[in-house]
Amino acid sequence: MPRDRYQHSLDELRSDVLSMGETVTERLDESLEALERRDDALARAVIDGDAQVNETYLELEEQCVDLFALQQPVAGDLRFVTASFKIITELERIGDLAVNLANYALAARQTVTPDVEIDALGTAAHGLVERSLAAYETADAAACRAVAAADDEVDARCQHANEHVTRALIARTDDRWSVERLLDDVSRVLLTIRDLERVADHAVNIAARTLYMIESDPELLY
Amino acid sequence: MSENQNPQTNQRTVTTTAEQPRTTTAGETDERTRDAWTAYDFDGDAKMTVEDLDVYYGDDHALKGVSMEIPERSVTALIGPSGCGKSTYLRCLNRMNDRIPSARIDGSVRFDGQEIYQDGVNLVELRKRVGMVFQSPNPFPKSIRENIAYGPQKHGDLDTGLLARLLNRSDAAERDELVERCLRDAALWDEVHDRLDDNALGLSGGQQQRLCIARCLSVDPEIILMDEPASALDPIATAKIEDLIADLAEEYTVVIVTHNMQQAARISDQTAVFLTGGELVEYGDTDRVFEDPHSERVEDYITGKFG
Repeated sequence: MPRDRYQHSLDELRSDVLSMGETVTERLDESLEALERRDDALARAVIDGDAQVNETYLELEEQCVDLFALQQPVAGDLRFVTASFKIITELERIGDLAVNLANYALAARQTVTPDVEIDALGTAAHGLVERSLAAYETADAAACRAVAAADDEVDARCQHANEHVTRALIARTDDRWSVERLLDDVSRVLLTIRDLERVADHAVNIAARTLYMIESDPELLY
Repeated sequence: MSENQNPQTNQRTVTTTAEQPRTTTAGETDERTRDAWTAYDFDGDAKMTVEDLDVYYGDDHALKGVSMEIPERSVTALIGPSGCGKSTYLRCLNRMNDRIPSARIDGSVRFDGQEIYQDGVNLVELRKRVGMVFQSPNPFPKSIRENIAYGPQKHGDLDTGLLARLLNRSDAAERDELVERCLRDAALWDEVHDRLDDNALGLSGGQQQRLCIARCLSVDPEIILMDEPASALDPIATAKIEDLIADLAEEYTVVIVTHNMQQAARISDQTAVFLTGGELVEYGDTDRVFEDPHSERVEDYITGKFG
């Protein structure tokens, strides 16, 4: 096949994006575990590991820019490089959100945290990231649409969790001491829910870019 | 025509079953899919309309059933591997293939609605209205001024020379005006205005090519056909020609054959992709063809996976 070196560069980009995706989903997994187990050491490892994610992001960005400048990809190749260029930004943001979650884990105290399904939400958001990356790897358009559809459910669950937490706070307004104690936890839990929702949104963005890559179809982009 | 249609139809079916059209639904014929790939829907009027054009060089079937409309005042790029018929196609648009004895042409080419392949067409007039610029610059071994004025003088649009002067009809002033206008339009005036009487062969390759474009403009064409006009030029001269082509398209209809796909992508409004065997496989807006080609063979060709 002609343009062997070019083909090699494209293959390399694909496997590097997937490898970055693997690292970021691992970080996310660890941050969720740190939250669940209140594991300070694991949380710190996630925070420290973010520098490496950022470095990988910059390296991949350069790979994409080099391909544009030196190889002028067109057609399916152009859509692949463009999609990859956008997907690495999504991955980098998911990495940042994993750092947020790790910080919440460090700040959490064993107090009267409202009882919400953080673990389950985390698992759902994490699952969407994995599914969107699998769709990118196998160029699976149906899987991209499925990720977008599944996100609606995650959004609904997040909204429900938000309401639950807020109601728990309101229910204690008669007990000032309890409200003071709860306030920190409540705001942190609300932030946690918001960040998990954002993780799922980034997964949808990955699916949207992947669908554009496969079918030149922008339907999921906005 | 009817005798040619059957083998041609078979051939289309054979060549297109090899690829898996992304846009087909089950039961849709390949031929219909192909027609959809080459049916180009554009705003504005067609300057040229080509229908079922077949060209044979002896036994060689060089172009197979090509139909396409060329929008006016725009740049249409023809791309494809060597031997795909794109230059043959270009040369059909001002009947340059008539000069090749073994060439046989079937089909219809209409220019502003008028059939150019019919008896009684004035070929000199046709080629004046449909000008051509070739791969290697080919200025006359004359002065820069004479290169521009030659065509209009020959066509009688300008009167100069002894007889004209004796009859008090010399159009020297008009000629100089024409020379300046054409050189300006070809983005060459600033570089040569102080040496119009120098021999054109003393110009650089890029300047010579722009002079040929200026010469083409001097007879007031409506369509300019360009066959690889920048392939013999360095990047700076190429960039000047490319800018010039974009400017020309405001007033003229430009059709350009190029081997350089990036050049086609940079300068054209619509792109027609010919593939080996003399078929037009895909035709559409340039950005669409380069971002989302419908034919997998076109995708493979433009991404360099074959050819």
